[in-house]
Amino acid sequence: MKNTDRKLVHRARRFRGSVAAAAAAALSALAAGPVLADDAKAIAGSVCVACHGENGNSVIPMFPKIAGLPEEYIVKQLRDFMSGRRKSDIMAPIVTQIKPEDVAPLAAYYAAQKPAAGKAEDKKVADLGKLIFFDGNEDTGVPACIGCHAPQGAGHGMYPRIGGQHQEYVKQQLKNFAAGDRSNDVSRFMRVTAKRMSDEEIQAVAEYLVGIGSK
Amino acid sequence: MKKYLIMVGVAALGAATAASAQTPAWNDIKGEQLIALKAKGDPARGEVAFEPCQGCHRKDASGRTSGAYPRLSGQHATVLIKQIADIRAGRRLNPKMEPFIEDHAITPYEIADIAAYLQGLPISVENGKGPGTGVAAGRQIYDKDCANCHGARGEGNAEQFYPMLAAQHYRYLLREMLFIRDGDRKNSNPEMVKVIKPYATADLEALADYMSQFPPPR
Repeated sequence: MKNTDRKLVHRARRFRGSVAAAAAAALSALAAGPVLADDAKAIAGSVCVACHGENGNSVIPMFPKIAGLPEEYIVKQLRDFMSGRRKSDIMAPIVTQIKPEDVAPLAAYYAAQKPAAGKAEDKKVADLGKLIFFDGNEDTGVPACIGCHAPQGAGHGMYPRIGGQHQEYVKQQLKNFAAGDRSNDVSRFMRVTAKRMSDEEIQAVAEYLVGIGSK
Repeated sequence: MKKYLIMVGVAALGAATAASAQTPAWNDIKGEQLIALKAKGDPARGEVAFEPCQGCHRKDASGRTSGAYPRLSGQHATVLIKQIADIRAGRRLNPKMEPFIEDHAITPYEIADIAAYLQGLPISVENGKGPGTGVAAGRQIYDKDCANCHGARGEGNAEQFYPMLAAQHYRYLLREMLFIRDGDRKNSNPEMVKVIKPYATADLEALADYMSQFPPPR
């Protein structure tokens, strides 16, 4: 087996819960007959488009851009919304319109869409955010974002793309993690991290992230 | 690699029975430390399991030259396993790291994988060095009180769980020595605490300065 293949296998094993979910979705998809990419596009166009925008690049700051998110991450989030592990008054009723067998094709569809970065407005604030992205905060034990979320905040596997994401959404999620209102992160990692961040740091990271990820 | 780990594992087990009578608090090899030492760590699995650690220890595990986080690349697997197990169990105080390596974050087998991966990594990026002014004084202390266990050039001793000091960052070396001297690290070898106790902070600064100049062992 090639080294990269082995890495993929190990990564999959490590996050067995979500992989089981993905496998279950894939299996039920098989049982129901092949779900075509066109079907996923149709669901996206009817169920998701109003908030997440054409091709997943939402233009409404409170709704996340989902274009180019890792497939595995999208599957996990949809499953978590369905099970209530991730709580959202907005998403909870919406995911009832998505059939379990549509989860995997939808995830593949949005993962394949081209993400569109935004633009940082306050360069000084963004510069502090850049420091945190690359170095974290050694005094308070905030890890650098790049460690998991990869260069340009592109994400991979279980770690979402954060480059180019709306400031409002990033800030809200970090605050939700810090307060424990969002608790579907892998082994509490983001809850611990967000709790260690100051409001200023959260603001700065959000301001930096919006402008990256186009490369 | 595997052969070496088995060898070390066996040696560790031998050491465990011999050492547990004398220093149970320092290195009582049981529970997940024992499981991890016996496991055949797989570097490929370790590379994946190490991903969440990269935010602090860097992708190449070189740590921070500021000394805030240690270099892990090239460290003995036995040392890494013991320290991770100790931090998880609360035997070594490390509030910054502890929540990130709780039981549900990594399994004992992944500890073995991570240790195998890190031990085999090249030592890239030069370490944070001391000012260079304490080298002569530091060498005297080192040769007298440290070299016996940690090796003439800071190689450490995998079988005895003594860490490699070479290529470690100056400020990390100094901080941990102060913690060990003042009883803030909790899982220190009592023999080492005895040896380091009489030294003033200025002595330890000189010592860390000297140690930070060791070249990487390979």
